[in-house]
Amino acid sequence: MRLFKALATVTAMVLLAACSSEQQQTASAASTTVTPGSVGDFRQNVGDRVFFDTDMSTIREDGRQTLNRQAEWLKKYTNYPVTIEGHCDERGTREYNLALGERRANAARQYLIAQGIPASRIKTISYGKERPDPVGSDEAAWARNRRAVTELQ
Amino acid sequence: MITKSNPMLPRRLTILGGAALAAGAAAPARAQLTIDMTRPTFEPVPIAIVDFSGDRVGAQIAEVIRNDLQNCGLFRSISPSAFIQRDIDAHSAPRFPDWRSIGAAGLVVGQVQSGGGNIKVDFRLWDVVVGQQATGLSFNSQPGNWRRLAHIIADAIYKRVTGEDGYFDTRVAYVSESGPGNARVKRIAIMDQDGANNRYITDGRTIALTPRFSPTLQEIVYMAYGEDRGPPRVYLQSVDSSRRELLGNFPGMSFAPRFSPDGTKVVMSISADGNSDLYEMDVRGRALRRLTNTPAIDTSPCYSNDGSQIVFNSDRGGSQQLYVMGAGGGGERRISFGEGRYATPVWSPRGDYIAFTKIGAGGFGIGVMRTDGSGERLLASGFLVEGPTWAPNGRVLMFFRGNPSSGGRTGSVGLFQIDITGRFERQVPTPGDASDPAWSPLIPQ
Amino acid sequence: MPLSLIRGRILPENGRLAMKALFAMKPLLSRLVIVLALAVPAAAAAQRVDPVYIEDRLNQLQQSITMLTGQIEQLQYRNQQLQQQMQKMQTDYEFRIEQLEKGRPGGAPPRVNTPSTPAPGPTAAATPSAGGGGDQLYHEAFKKLQDGDYAGAERGFKAFLQGSPRHALAGNAQYWLGETYYARRDYQNAMTAFAEGYRTYKGSPKGPDNLLKLGVTLAALGRKPDACAVFAKFTQDYPRATDLQKRRVDQERQKNTCG
Repeated sequence: MRLFKALATVTAMVLLAACSSEQQQTASAASTTVTPGSVGDFRQNVGDRVFFDTDMSTIREDGRQTLNRQAEWLKKYTNYPVTIEGHCDERGTREYNLALGERRANAARQYLIAQGIPASRIKTISYGKERPDPVGSDEAAWARNRRAVTELQ
Repeated sequence: MITKSNPMLPRRLTILGGAALAAGAAAPARAQLTIDMTRPTFEPVPIAIVDFSGDRVGAQIAEVIRNDLQNCGLFRSISPSAFIQRDIDAHSAPRFPDWRSIGAAGLVVGQVQSGGGNIKVDFRLWDVVVGQQATGLSFNSQPGNWRRLAHIIADAIYKRVTGEDGYFDTRVAYVSESGPGNARVKRIAIMDQDGANNRYITDGRTIALTPRFSPTLQEIVYMAYGEDRGPPRVYLQSVDSSRRELLGNFPGMSFAPRFSPDGTKVVMSISADGNSDLYEMDVRGRALRRLTNTPAIDTSPCYSNDGSQIVFNSDRGGSQQLYVMGAGGGGERRISFGEGRYATPVWSPRGDYIAFTKIGAGGFGIGVMRTDGSGERLLASGFLVEGPTWAPNGRVLMFFRGNPSSGGRTGSVGLFQIDITGRFERQVPTPGDASDPAWSPLIPQ
Repeated sequence: MPLSLIRGRILPENGRLAMKALFAMKPLLSRLVIVLALAVPAAAAAQRVDPVYIEDRLNQLQQSITMLTGQIEQLQYRNQQLQQQMQKMQTDYEFRIEQLEKGRPGGAPPRVNTPSTPAPGPTAAATPSAGGGGDQLYHEAFKKLQDGDYAGAERGFKAFLQGSPRHALAGNAQYWLGETYYARRDYQNAMTAFAEGYRTYKGSPKGPDNLLKLGVTLAALGRKPDACAVFAKFTQDYPRATDLQKRRVDQERQKNTCG
């Protein structure tokens, strides 16, 4: 099951380049208010977070697109070091979730490194289930909480 | 009969001999003053606790004892308004028929004498059914220690009636939570087992979690985030001061600390490149020793009561399960094979059970199993129940219970205790929301 | 060296990054790297070598190892359960055959069709009971033994022996206590228990079994000369042992090539 999912994401990668450039165009067309290269630009036009399946730290297809955009942006604006925050939903124990959040943050970091961002530029920190966003106890809230957020410094 | 070592600590002076025995046969077919906790069902023992005479603090002492005994679920404290004999003397035999007629099986009387910056407290437990003294003790301490004396007396009564050691003269460290869910303040607090004397150990500027007592109660270890997005690290702090030391300075996160039973070591998780493994640190020399080395999450370690083994949880087999290994690492074997995920294992101080958090499709549970993984039983369940911790007698667990969040409001969370038969659960009072309790050993006397 | 193999094949323009990614995955087992070294070249020829691709392969391999670990754990657990069940059945059979050979007291027919509820104690019917509390402890412990709860049975038999060391069933309890260790392959404790059983309850109905099992345990511990000495003692001490017991001793002597 898991293995299958992972394989699927690999094959999907081939289609990736076309998809992401398309999205980026539509995204930048939509925004006019933020300065290119600003934190607002990154959050709004690139997307600062990727989401994970329950108890997983594999970067999903949608996450790859976001991270590809992040990598492109970070290559363009090289003055930002980043910290990737790893988070979990509340359906796990506190200590395990700290470790799982760390694993998620690290998965996103490795992806960015593989895309050519220097490892020295990217730190990670895990918040486990201690910093929910949004606050909520339903499937939708949990899905949004299983996340890795790239914060510019 | 003056305390030598530490005048702050209550000191047991003497065992009081039986006061004049009242003749008279046991009343048949009444509640008894003994209880077998292992039996599947029993009635709480009805007990009458008279305000201690001699000083104003006597009434407060009696109230603390009533509260302890009533709250443990094994006793029913009879309301003082029902008492018939009002002229009772702490050192002579009561009128047993008066106490039998209100259904009491046990009767506690006591006397306080204060003077010279000292307080002396005597108490007797009468077996009303048999008509003789069950136990009697005398203590000497400073007046400020009256609460501890009351807990020590409640422990003595508990022990006499159940045959088990009590757990009332103990403290609880926990995480005090306040503020909105996305910016919640989490700081370490310590209080007496009954919720009294609550105080904060960390200032709340950064999140602090998972406090654990040293066996002497002098120190706690916990995890706290650094300022400015510093990674979470393990700290060692004296319970009597705000001074704290970093326990090892690692580039990654260190978390889930716990003392060895002899207090010389701390076992914890350290993460590197997103992967968490278990390490043991010598508290004095700070030498670090790696215990596990897997690409999986290994965390929530806890020593066995004799210090020879460590139980922990790991997802090396695809989902969180419990594993036991030697205290020096190696020989890891999985012990949990039920449905669902298992987490936060804690070894009972008597060595007979491991308590754990279980996560299933329907919610969370708190359970116990034998140390080989057999005989699993769930004691409590709910939307969120997590993080069991043992009372020092290994017969009661404390854990935290949380409610779902809704409308952007964080659900409330609080501490609960339950005995290992799962019969009696009650909330432990805290000033605000609370999670992650750690029950101390008995306070050294 | 597998690592240099990778470096040799896939070091084009992105090679350094690939190596970085690889080294960043420190926690991965070196075995994975070997597998990777074998797996990558073919793929590398087919499509461009992408660090993300390597990262993915590593993740997949790690996931399959995790999955396999979980499966092995489950299988080991089931295997262990089966072994315990077998041992339980074996204990049960041995007991039944022994009863049959002795001839069942009271002429009751052997209950071969109810394997789950064998007679609670080997000589319960032959010995007068002495006090209900002790008996109950014994039977509870025996029940636990049959259920495969060896730790529970151990505690039960110990409690029974502590409370009633002179009970008519004490020799039996001592023997079954040894069996609880033996079943768990705790031969050291089993040896002590059987030896104690032989020493203290030599004349009990379980005396011969204690001695026989002491020999078997010694053999299991690799102490063959001692085992042989015990088997020799058996013939000497228990000339009137049952045929089954005698046969078993002969078998064991052969197995351990006793003189």
